[in-house]
Amino acid sequence: MPSTTRSAHLASVARVELFETPIPGVGVRYEFTSAAGDRLGVVVRRDGRRDLVLYDEKDPDACRDTVMLTPEESAALVELFGGTKITERIADLRQDVEGLSIEWVTVEPGRGLADRTIGDGRIRTLTGASVVAVLRGERSIPGPGPDFVLQPGDVALVVGSVAGVQAAQRLLAG
Amino acid sequence: MFAASSASTVLVELGAVLLVLAVSGRLAARFALPSIPLYLVAGLLLGEGSPIALRASSEFIRIGADLGVVLLLLLLGIEYTPAELSRGMRSHWLAGLVDFVANAAPGVVAALILGWGVVPAVLLGGITYMTSSGIVAKLLSDLDRIGNRETPVVLSLLVMEDIVMALYLPVIGVLIVGATVVEGSIAVALALAVVAVALLVSLRFGTKVSRLLDSTSPELLLLTLLGATFLVAGLADKAKVSAAVGAFLVGVTLSGRIAERGRELLAPIRDVFGGLFFIFFGLQIDPADLPPVLLPAMVLAVVAAATKAGTGWWAAKRSSIGRPGRRRAAAAMIPRGEFSIVIAGIGTAAGLEGQIGPLTACFVLILAIGGSLAMRFTG
Repeated sequence: MPSTTRSAHLASVARVELFETPIPGVGVRYEFTSAAGDRLGVVVRRDGRRDLVLYDEKDPDACRDTVMLTPEESAALVELFGGTKITERIADLRQDVEGLSIEWVTVEPGRGLADRTIGDGRIRTLTGASVVAVLRGERSIPGPGPDFVLQPGDVALVVGSVAGVQAAQRLLAG
Repeated sequence: MFAASSASTVLVELGAVLLVLAVSGRLAARFALPSIPLYLVAGLLLGEGSPIALRASSEFIRIGADLGVVLLLLLLGIEYTPAELSRGMRSHWLAGLVDFVANAAPGVVAALILGWGVVPAVLLGGITYMTSSGIVAKLLSDLDRIGNRETPVVLSLLVMEDIVMALYLPVIGVLIVGATVVEGSIAVALALAVVAVALLVSLRFGTKVSRLLDSTSPELLLLTLLGATFLVAGLADKAKVSAAVGAFLVGVTLSGRIAERGRELLAPIRDVFGGLFFIFFGLQIDPADLPPVLLPAMVLAVVAAATKAGTGWWAAKRSSIGRPGRRRAAAAMIPRGEFSIVIAGIGTAAGLEGQIGPLTACFVLILAIGGSLAMRFTG
């Protein structure tokens, strides 16, 4: 039975499985279950506001509480949580370009492009997709050039068509 | 001097009408009800035998009502991006089809039982089919249900209804003209082709068009948007595609920053002219025509509420939503409003079946209020 709302696996930056559901006319909703078992959601509205949602334990489809945040408030919250702003920008981008695929790819030790440069993989030439940023520990490196050496544990942000990103993922992770 | 006195009468009448709208709106807000049913009642009360006889301003209100429909559909189009519409068509076509068949059927059958012709039956099918996205979107937000897991299911169905409407309005436009079968088929095919091409153009070039029309000055943005919309709506009407669909397609084409700012600037203007539209629809109905259609309207409302609730329940179940969520999705599909009245207004303007106006007014009154209460008290 196909589900009406298509949830897509989005990110595994911190090994958190996020589910993404478009809400027509509103924006996109992301949700995940915390290690303690609470279900949390964030509605990213097109006008920049965010709804922070805590789901009900008895009725898992309903919100027990909703906190609406202005763009400034959510930026402040992100600062407090120590996050990067990349995810937020991707969410905006995804809504503008139909068919755009964005994936986080973790570089595993000894496989794929570990300890080699991005240029070595000829990712753009072969797949049409690009590595637009790399997360290394606490740092985020936007726009790494072809000479950039990938280290094991780096998380590369790949953007392109669905097929292109899949191919790039194979090159990067091996 | 003559002109001056008639201008002053228009102002007095228009002022009175807008104040009546304001009072009805406040009353609705006070009881946490949608404003559409109260605007309708106000229109009914201002019609036959009311102390405020609207004469001088009737032409202005009629044109204002036309602009109201165009603006209603423009903002509906702005609400959705072309990407959302194409995703809707690809992933939700089955749910959309079930929604259409299950909920147009009560109207068509009722019209045939009442002995109306084929064309009024097609209209009544549309009237029972369309859920009011205005009422539903506002209530979902008021009730803090935007983050709920059943909400995307409901909104996806509403997106499909809007796509169906973009195809349905041109078809009834042609049917009403009463052409022969061959002429009619050609005209329908032509109208549908125009809609399809316009949708494709907005998918491909939406971003470019949006950039071209955008401006940082609110004044210039408003003039550009209104000018482009009225022009396209008028041309669409001349091509028998219906002005409303033209405006909807303009709205869909707009995306990004211009859509956000356009929505902010245009929403209050839509509310004013939309109010005139509901008043105008009420004005055309003689309250004496209401009692005879009351019983059929009530039966139709009960049946159409049940079929819609069934559709919502089924769609939510299909997306593996739990029972309380299914109940909420069922209730959220029930409210009918602006679209039912737009369709009935088209029928009334064409002078089809005289009962269609009064019947729709009763039907919408029952389901706008009943559906809102159902949403509020479910879940």
